[in-house]
Amino acid sequence: MSPIQSRPKRILLSTVSSDSHTWNLVFLQLLLQESGYEVTNLGPCVPDAELIEQVRVQRPDAVVISSVNGHGHLDGRRLIRKLRADSDPALSTVPVMIGGKLGIQGAGQPHLADELVAEGFDAVFTDGADPAEFGTALRRMTAHRPEITGAAA
Amino acid sequence: MTGTRPQGSPDMQNHVEQAAQAGQLVVQPRMGMSDPRSMAEGLAAVAAARARTLATLTIDSYTRVEDIAGAREALEAGRALNGFPLVNHGPHITAQVVRAAGGVPVQVRHGSARPAHIFEAMVAAGLSASEGGPVSYCLPYSRLPLAEAVPAWTDATQQLAEQAADHGMRAHLETFGGCMLGQMCPPSLLVAISVLEALFFARNGVSSVSLSYAQQTNAVQDIEALAALHHLAELFLPADVARHVVLYTYMGVYPSTEAGAELLLDSSAQIAVRGGAQRLIVKTVAEAHRIPTVAENVAALERAARVSRQALHDDCPLPWARQVDYETVYSEALRLITAVLDHGSDIGPGLRAAFASGVLDVPFCLHRDNAGAARGAIADDGRLVWADTGAMPLPAAGATRHAVTSSRLLGMLRYTADAHDRSAALLSRARAQVTAAHRIAVVGSGPRGLAVVERLVARLREETPERAVEIVLIDKDQVGAGRIGRTDQNPEFRRTPACGEGTMFSGPADDGPARAGAGPSLGQWWAATEDPCYPGPNAYAPRALYGAYLRFFLQAVQDSLPARATLRRHTGHVTGMQRVGEAWQLRCADGELITADRVVLATGHPVTQLSADQTRFADFAVARPHLRYIRGDSAADMPLERIAPGARVAVLGMGLTFYDIVAALTTGRGGRFHEGPDKALRYVPSGLEPVLVAGSRSGVPLPARGLNQKGPLWRYTARLFTPERITALRAPGRPLDFRERIWPWLHAEMQLVYYATAVRARLGERVEREFLARAAALVEHAGAGTAEQTIRAAAAELGVDGLDPLDVEHLARPFAGRRFPSPDAFTAALTRLIDDDLAHAGQGNFHGPRKAALDVLRDVRGTIRRAVDFDGLTAASHRDDFLGWFAPLSSFLAAGPPAQRLRQTRALLEAGVLRVAGPSAEFAADEDGGGFTVRSAQGAGSLHRCEALIDARIPAPDLDRDTAPLTRHLRASGLWTPWTNDRGDGGPLTGGVATTAVPYRPVTAAGTPAEGVYVLGIPCEGQRWFMQVGSARPGPWTDFTKDADAIAQDALTAPARPAAHRRLEGTRA
Repeated sequence: MSPIQSRPKRILLSTVSSDSHTWNLVFLQLLLQESGYEVTNLGPCVPDAELIEQVRVQRPDAVVISSVNGHGHLDGRRLIRKLRADSDPALSTVPVMIGGKLGIQGAGQPHLADELVAEGFDAVFTDGADPAEFGTALRRMTAHRPEITGAAA
Repeated sequence: MTGTRPQGSPDMQNHVEQAAQAGQLVVQPRMGMSDPRSMAEGLAAVAAARARTLATLTIDSYTRVEDIAGAREALEAGRALNGFPLVNHGPHITAQVVRAAGGVPVQVRHGSARPAHIFEAMVAAGLSASEGGPVSYCLPYSRLPLAEAVPAWTDATQQLAEQAADHGMRAHLETFGGCMLGQMCPPSLLVAISVLEALFFARNGVSSVSLSYAQQTNAVQDIEALAALHHLAELFLPADVARHVVLYTYMGVYPSTEAGAELLLDSSAQIAVRGGAQRLIVKTVAEAHRIPTVAENVAALERAARVSRQALHDDCPLPWARQVDYETVYSEALRLITAVLDHGSDIGPGLRAAFASGVLDVPFCLHRDNAGAARGAIADDGRLVWADTGAMPLPAAGATRHAVTSSRLLGMLRYTADAHDRSAALLSRARAQVTAAHRIAVVGSGPRGLAVVERLVARLREETPERAVEIVLIDKDQVGAGRIGRTDQNPEFRRTPACGEGTMFSGPADDGPARAGAGPSLGQWWAATEDPCYPGPNAYAPRALYGAYLRFFLQAVQDSLPARATLRRHTGHVTGMQRVGEAWQLRCADGELITADRVVLATGHPVTQLSADQTRFADFAVARPHLRYIRGDSAADMPLERIAPGARVAVLGMGLTFYDIVAALTTGRGGRFHEGPDKALRYVPSGLEPVLVAGSRSGVPLPARGLNQKGPLWRYTARLFTPERITALRAPGRPLDFRERIWPWLHAEMQLVYYATAVRARLGERVEREFLARAAALVEHAGAGTAEQTIRAAAAELGVDGLDPLDVEHLARPFAGRRFPSPDAFTAALTRLIDDDLAHAGQGNFHGPRKAALDVLRDVRGTIRRAVDFDGLTAASHRDDFLGWFAPLSSFLAAGPPAQRLRQTRALLEAGVLRVAGPSAEFAADEDGGGFTVRSAQGAGSLHRCEALIDARIPAPDLDRDTAPLTRHLRASGLWTPWTNDRGDGGPLTGGVATTAVPYRPVTAAGTPAEGVYVLGIPCEGQRWFMQVGSARPGPWTDFTKDADAIAQDALTAPARPAAHRRLEGTRA
């Protein structure tokens, strides 16, 4: 194992602007930390501008968005469009995944996932997805990130 | 400061204190709708719940974050918000909405970190109670820094106290600090923040506060926390601040099963009572899945209230607050509070500093002002403990310390939900195995169904059942009153008999509370309501008032349920039933299934298909928009408001329903009666009345009942028409002829009373007694056929002569054979007849010979049933003599409205508002004239043309014309068959449902009784007579109570299990 690989990957953990739930974020923070990630947890009801600003400043290896209030597909689409349209490549290319209860219709809305991927998410986990897949996807997404980030650039 | 005020919602603290003094826990829902009407309905439902409630008005999330424009856009676009937009609706609409809660105070709930706009809007609407806190509404839900939230709350709190006082109200604020994050916050921190926020409110001018605490993971620990909360509030809050403690039912992940959710709610109600909380904010069974409905909220409130009453008893497994050791939570909370207060006297900056330094640190709270080092965990004994205390001035977590991993966190978050789901599953399995409850369903909550329920509960109170008993009372209209007695009907509609003569309780009231087996008559209850208009026991109560009495009665019965018995009220329309194993499954119109071991069918008055004549009238009116046809039904179910002022209205029938209709269309429309100096009534019209033209066979409105001179306990003892004689007349295989064998003895009895009353009036009671004995003996000797002459002669011997003969048939058809040359001549004759009737009625039903004699018809009804019920008569006599002649005669002469109705009728005739067409009235649809006509076959010039026709007759039950889905289903499935009398000549005669003798099981198409099913009341009319009785009489049981009790007794008896088919070795089949 090369020394450079030991730098923990940094995850920006957040939810969408309208979602005030926190226990899902607390749980994910613990889960990610247990998997060796370094986590910044932005807490509930994060406005789009604040999340974008945090990505710009922190330059995380990946952004994980969890939402359970049923508005995740609406708020998530708006957010990813802004990110992907940003002139800063650190924002337009950062891997972003979203998961949780994304629609108000309950489980089994594969079209929502397809739409969100088409809008620019790298991975989408709808309600009832296999937790093991979450770890695999996150590893895959962060694997090709530069070993040394150009944080000062 | 005083809690009274000229207007607005009542004072919350006073309300809670009064309940506490009465030993009652106040229960409160969460509830907020954007639509004012829905919100008002929700508040009204909470206020009407069978519980001591406090109502809630929760605002929407736009208003919470001061986005008033956002709320307006949503309202304008017609989108429903998740709460009541208080600011947008404004003070006027809000005040109107709040009025729906009546005397129940309304608390505004909001969740705002900056609540000034909410407080301002609520005070303007007359509301003074809210909740929250500078910490508890900032940290968990808002991104606002404490540096902004604390000053905002300081200003808002001061402003609320001042503005409420300006409006003559006392502001009340409840801390939300006892609920931080809903779960996983150890009790000492919750108690500390709750006390600190209460202190914050008090320092900022609010003198009435409540301190919250949310149920956590261990009931005993929660009681310790409540004890500590009381103690610390006493220690820190100024003495002039009024306060109480409120418990929240568990706020974390909720059980997913209904039974688990109920168990958790029950537990919170017990904790509240045992821990000394005066108020409980409930959750519903729907909590895990969706926003609860109003009905689910009401069910949760009523359940919590019930459990809280039971929690006062010694068999509650939880300790009282005074019995627990609360040292740990008390001393930890004390340290936290003192640490904050050490920052100085200003509590706001103290709170900010405490969070900044980590002296206060809410576990798992992600707010940037929270240190985030503390962790809570659930210990092996289920208590919520510190896994990490961070920088708080608390003892280190020590031996109980557990690392909180993600999977452990998931387990802890689900701990309470899973534990209660599991317990509920175990409990129900245990119950199912050991003691499956015995389930009794009563379909129909009119008087008959209620009477069965009362006898069930009375019997259960006398003898504790081996198995639990679950009674479910089902009504499609209003559980506790039924369709006919529902409480929202026109107060003009009256019921017979006099209120002092009707009771629902199977025993008289005593010193104890009203309960199954003992309680007041309708009259006693009415008197006790302190209604200043209570007219005395001889008055006839409005049917809506009777409905209210029935509801009181049901509540008293329900409150008296013994252990192991439950009563559930279910509003639903039963449309079918089928056998499932050994039980019955009832199907409701909304798809709900109810399983029961026994089913009592007491479905009451039917709505029948129209007859051919009626259909013709209905079709005639439908094809002509200016005409109206109103079918025969209870007057409350008639669309009388559609009758236009001035319209000419033909009314078919002049019985009790006729009087209800006339009242609704005259005094019900603003007309008034005034008593003139001659004591006669004059009618002063309002101008909104139609012109009524009534007609019937007799041409006479139902005569008045004599002034009641018999006490409620009075019972008539017959001398000639005795039960013994009539029972003896019945012999197997020898059906009777009513007119030949029964009527003469009944007629003789009436003659006996007629002359005996006259004898008493002239010669006194001693002579009357001698006369009765002598005259009865003479009739026994000479036979009933000549009774009238015999008795008249015996009276004449005593010098009592000159009395008009009592001609019963003439009284029933006074105009028979007469012709009237003009309408005026008829009206004059009718007026004289009414005056004569009123004179007799005034002499009374005991001292007046005529009304006393006619009262016999009522007094011996039970004996008449002995002759007629269960095929005592030949089919021909039953149809022609009994149903065709006697039954109408008897209801005409004995049903009797109060004399006042006749005085009013006379005045209406004089005023021209009411006309009577005459005897032998004929109603027709006149194709050429394009309207209805009514005329008397005995009167010249009696033709009237009318735009409306009201059928004022109650439809007779007829199984095959009944439109009710349940009746059709029972008929089609063969569970109900029509009763048929084909004895002797002239058959067959058919009618209502065929049943066995006591306990009245329906006879199925297979000819066998339906096991576990009973039919009572109006559906049985035919095989049994006069089933429409709607109450018992005080005193010895009448058939009404006896029938109900017989069914209750049988329904409670465990089914006789048929012996298993066993064959001994060596025997042959």
